[in-house]
Amino acid sequence: MRLPVRAVGLRTTIMLSFAVGALLLSAVMGIGTYLTARDYLVDQRERAAVREAFADASYVRDGLLTSGIEVSDVLGRVAPAADSTVLVKRFDRWFSSSLELGEEDVPAQVQRAVDEGEVAVVWTRAQDAPAVAVGVPLPAVDAQFFEVVATQELARTLATLRIVLLVFAAFTAAAGALLGRWAARRVVAPLDHVAGAAAQIAGGALDTRLPTTEDPDLATIVGSFNSMVDAVHERIERDARFAADVSHELRSPLTALVTSVDVLDGRRDELSERSRRALDLIKSDLHRFQRVLEDLLELGRLESGAARLDGSILDARDLVRFALEESGRDPALLRTSAGPGGTLVAVDKTQLHRALVNLFENAERHAGGVTGVTVAPDGDGVVITVDDAGPGVPIEDRERIFERFVRGGSRGSLPGAGLGLSLVAETVRAHGGAIWCGSAPGASGARFTLRLPSPDVVPDRAASPSEVRA
Amino acid sequence: MTSPPAEVRGASSPRRDWQHGRVPETLLILEDDDGIRTALRMAMEDEGYRVVDMARAEDALRVVGEQTVDLMLVDLMLGGMDGYTFIRRARPASDAPIIVVSARNDTVDIVAALEAGADDYVTKPFVVKEVSARLRALLRRGRGGAAPDPGVADRVVLDTAEPALVLDMSAGTVRRGDDSIHLTVTEYRLLCELASPTGRVRSRQSLLDAVWDKGFFGDERIVDVHIRRLRTKVERDPGDPQLVVTVRGLGYRLDPR
Repeated sequence: MRLPVRAVGLRTTIMLSFAVGALLLSAVMGIGTYLTARDYLVDQRERAAVREAFADASYVRDGLLTSGIEVSDVLGRVAPAADSTVLVKRFDRWFSSSLELGEEDVPAQVQRAVDEGEVAVVWTRAQDAPAVAVGVPLPAVDAQFFEVVATQELARTLATLRIVLLVFAAFTAAAGALLGRWAARRVVAPLDHVAGAAAQIAGGALDTRLPTTEDPDLATIVGSFNSMVDAVHERIERDARFAADVSHELRSPLTALVTSVDVLDGRRDELSERSRRALDLIKSDLHRFQRVLEDLLELGRLESGAARLDGSILDARDLVRFALEESGRDPALLRTSAGPGGTLVAVDKTQLHRALVNLFENAERHAGGVTGVTVAPDGDGVVITVDDAGPGVPIEDRERIFERFVRGGSRGSLPGAGLGLSLVAETVRAHGGAIWCGSAPGASGARFTLRLPSPDVVPDRAASPSEVRA
Repeated sequence: MTSPPAEVRGASSPRRDWQHGRVPETLLILEDDDGIRTALRMAMEDEGYRVVDMARAEDALRVVGEQTVDLMLVDLMLGGMDGYTFIRRARPASDAPIIVVSARNDTVDIVAALEAGADDYVTKPFVVKEVSARLRALLRRGRGGAAPDPGVADRVVLDTAEPALVLDMSAGTVRRGDDSIHLTVTEYRLLCELASPTGRVRSRQSLLDAVWDKGFFGDERIVDVHIRRLRTKVERDPGDPQLVVTVRGLGYRLDPR
């Protein structure tokens, strides 16, 4: 069974690694220091105790050699260190220099060794504190000498050392964590730059590059990133060039064709009835071909962002009226309630004209024709609606119909390449506007709503560059 | 099949009536695409022009130097010498209107061609109707062909400072003192429009209508480029125009001094 593990970020990982590393290191160092120091101190203490015991033992022996002196008198004259207690066993009687300690405080191990005539040193506990018990046989006076040295000082020293080392280890671990945090930030910072640059590039700023760096570790990332962007940029430019080349390649033969057909058309009187019908067929299909090609090229240029927007400020109502008239529709289809002004837009009139005519033609082809067009001011923009007489567009298709080569209704039932609406959408987007499809109020048909920003909302479009220079 | 006589063709099509009784204008077509050139030649001959067609700019330059050419239709994308260079080289020798044909409609291309001296442009794929309308507009506005409006003086003094700059509409000339200033047909027409009458602001659109016969979709940059070119010829300091002045947001005005 796996526990749900929350993904740990790179930054946290680096920080934790530093902290754990520092802790381990300081723990090993601390424990080593402690053990070495303890062994040394214990050894020193033991030697000191033994030295002291021997000194005291010789004093006690010398005292006892003087005949007639009681053991207790000798013990009274011995002046052991404050934490030491001297005990003497003679003729199976125990004498002690302190009231607290007695026979039972001398370990049996030491007593046995002394019984056998040997000196013994043993660590023990006396009165709940560590102590060193030293036993020395005094055969000259038929006595046994013992000294118990309490080592509370040593215990306190070791305790202090332990605390100091623990605090030090904790401090080192915290410092490691801080260092890790800083290092993590250093490591991740370039990645943040990369992410920022990538976002800018995705947003269309294709000339964004990471600044070159002296850092040899980062130089690789920066270099790879920049060369990747270069490659992408070049690819996009190549596509744009390809579109331009295709445009030239296709337009030239098409121009020759259209011109030749115009010549034929100018001389249609000389043609037979049958030839004239064939000519009309060519003319209408050639016209369609020309329209599709122009739409395709325009769409490609809009999508690659290469299309220029030739801004001129005009009344959206004039634009719509003109588009209706020019495409052979009734200008009376335009209903507008707005007074003069308020419906001004900054647009490339040729492109928007093409978009409007495309919208009308779409209504004609797929939805029984345009039933009404309105133009109205709307906040800081202008809204144009186009209603049709069709069955409407199902809600699930209302976004999809603006994609390329998508047609409403049954596939192939009506002419048209399905480019029209996507061209309209791209054109409107290039103008900073929006387009959406809904249903016509009070009718079954669809309503296409097109919103364009007012001139003052579009910066620097009001004055064409040439006007500034003029 | 041989072409029918020109009179028969002229009678069969009402749109050629404006040509009736006139010597056919010579139209130079410079286009390196054989299909387009041949088709254009046929179409333009049917429109009543005498057509000289060339595939290379070098040959076309020779034609401009050797004979009178009334109009030129020039493709910008050519092998060898390109359309821009051709226009620049042809300009001192000929003031005939030049229409450029461009397969691209990028800002730079078109403005560059206009700056080089072209009068108007069409983009491929064009329709013959459009081209002939453009040609006709530039041609009928030719020098001396425009009758000044009644009530407007034929002779306008543009700059009184000696030597005086004078526009003489009846003679079709612009002179500074005794020197004739060389204007192209379109520059001259533009000056005449601004001078009828002087001091009135003319919008770009109205100038487009009057000089180029363009409607709603006319490219107003054409006017701007021509105004710039006109200024270099008639202003004392083209960098600080005092005669042809810009009225911001409205258009241009002629201010004689």
